[in-house]
Amino acid sequence: MLGNAPSFTMLSELLQGTDVGGFLLIQDSCSYSGRHLLKSFIDAALNREEVVHVLGLDVSEEELKEGLKSFVFQRLHFHDAYADPLGWTDNSPFTVHQFSSSRLTELLKQTAPSKPATLVIDSLSWVLRHISPTAVCHTLQQLKKGGAVRTIIGLLHEDMHSRGIVGSVCRLATSVITVEPGTKGEEALAKITKRSKSGKVTQDEQIFSIRKDLTVTVLSKPTNPGHKRSTTEEQVDPTANLTFNLRLTDAEREAKEKLALPFVFSKEKKTALLHSGPGSGKILYEPDASDDYDQEDPDDDLDV
Amino acid sequence: MTRRWRCRQTKPTKSLEENENLQRSSELVRLAMFTELNSILNTSPESFTPGEFILLSDRQSDASFLIHHFLSFYLKARCKVCFVALVQSFSHYHAVSQRLGVSLTQAKEKGQLIFLEGLKESLSVFLPQEENAGHQAMSFLRDPAAGLRSLYEFVQSSVVESSGGGGASAEQWGPPVLLMDDVSVLLSLGVRVGAVLDFSHYCRTTVCSQLQGNVVMLVRCDGEAEEDDADDEGSEQLMRGLTHQSCLTLHVQGLPTGYCRDIHGQVEFCWKKRQSDGQHAPKKVFQFKVHDKGVSFFARGTSRAVL
Repeated sequence: MLGNAPSFTMLSELLQGTDVGGFLLIQDSCSYSGRHLLKSFIDAALNREEVVHVLGLDVSEEELKEGLKSFVFQRLHFHDAYADPLGWTDNSPFTVHQFSSSRLTELLKQTAPSKPATLVIDSLSWVLRHISPTAVCHTLQQLKKGGAVRTIIGLLHEDMHSRGIVGSVCRLATSVITVEPGTKGEEALAKITKRSKSGKVTQDEQIFSIRKDLTVTVLSKPTNPGHKRSTTEEQVDPTANLTFNLRLTDAEREAKEKLALPFVFSKEKKTALLHSGPGSGKILYEPDASDDYDQEDPDDDLDV
Repeated sequence: MTRRWRCRQTKPTKSLEENENLQRSSELVRLAMFTELNSILNTSPESFTPGEFILLSDRQSDASFLIHHFLSFYLKARCKVCFVALVQSFSHYHAVSQRLGVSLTQAKEKGQLIFLEGLKESLSVFLPQEENAGHQAMSFLRDPAAGLRSLYEFVQSSVVESSGGGGASAEQWGPPVLLMDDVSVLLSLGVRVGAVLDFSHYCRTTVCSQLQGNVVMLVRCDGEAEEDDADDEGSEQLMRGLTHQSCLTLHVQGLPTGYCRDIHGQVEFCWKKRQSDGQHAPKKVFQFKVHDKGVSFFARGTSRAVL
């Protein structure tokens, strides 16, 4: 894929949050945590003066807020489902079984009644462990169309679920970013798939790193040789720069193509063998009674 | 002239201070056994990062030496330790800890250590004879499908006790620590992977976030790492789930080239959290050799047998 100007890559486009009514999914695995990128998205949304609601299941409020600047906290609402997600104590602020579009819309309307908010779910894997995938997908779809939510950003640990479940959630998403560890320490690789409203799908891969202030620096395209070879690679001419001539003139090329190769059983050879020319010996064969003679194919080797 | 053996008498003139110094130096010698590990982890019993979930894992190897290290480490750091030991008896851990310079019996008597001996308690679940406090913790053996809520409640009661203030006789212990050896045995007892992950989540919530203590769990895998079978209800999925929850993992495995007498294996250290002191490599690999009274760690290729 031809690269765009470096400052306007797919990843930075997604960070600018112009995708309203969409569902952005960040997929990670054990080898690289997607939470750093998730925090970058939260930071970018807060800097744009958006109201952000976080449904926190995987990590505590302190851990999630670590690194975010404190003056934006008034726009950040953390719904604590980390402390007691299954209701084992009698005082649970939010349990995982309350994950439904009605309850979530209610929560969102409590704090930002007029403006549609950005909903961040950390993480969907926790929810999928206790709620059936169909119910989760249904809830996400209803939230997307509901109007109370401007964008949904979800984190999913793809190595914790079967491919079918991961595939179903990805289908719902308008953009999917799969993060993997990069070759150098601080860098990571992002594989981005974006589905536009017209149905067009664009894909891209970018190497990025996240600084301490949660800004994302998009570095470059991955350049490892395992990738698809570049078509602009020049063909090396082996007949150049030699002390002897290996090139063919047109007449020589024609003669070369006309030449019949010795061990290839071509049509011309077949007719030459079958209809031997004048002067060559003929073989007359008269079979005995005990011979198994097939009139049509005496030697049983004709390609008839 | 034959040698005469006679009883050694301790000189009464030795002062108390000298005795203390002697004790401290012998302790230091024992501590020195794990100083390499402490320096890799950048910790010491005097100062360690609170609120951490450390995952120890092994594949076709034995990481239990790390459990013994952490047990003696946190006891020396004067933390209140809750040890859920499901695979070995109390006397086993006691014998090994003595070599590392801590006495588990003493710690238990002082109230510093709460020890759940899974093997013994499970017998009383199956053959109930009298009402036992440990009963409830292991009740998941009767009904594994119900989950580990009762085990979590046992852990909660053990660690919350310490910060509850206590009576006049209670000593002031440091932050609580939960140690588990090992978590994968729960899968063999019929508990689902999801239930174990819920249990570890709740332990993390209570011990790490609420009480700023640490949690150390050991998970064991057998067989090769399966890359594509993500919904396999087994130790691989449990290890992945726990890795997502932890902030530091120590993965022990044998050498990829095979058995070696002088190098018993390698340990891969993975830090998830970005440390505040700047740049650090998120992954480090060291090789180790287990001795009688400790373990020595060295960078790859620098074993004394090779140099």
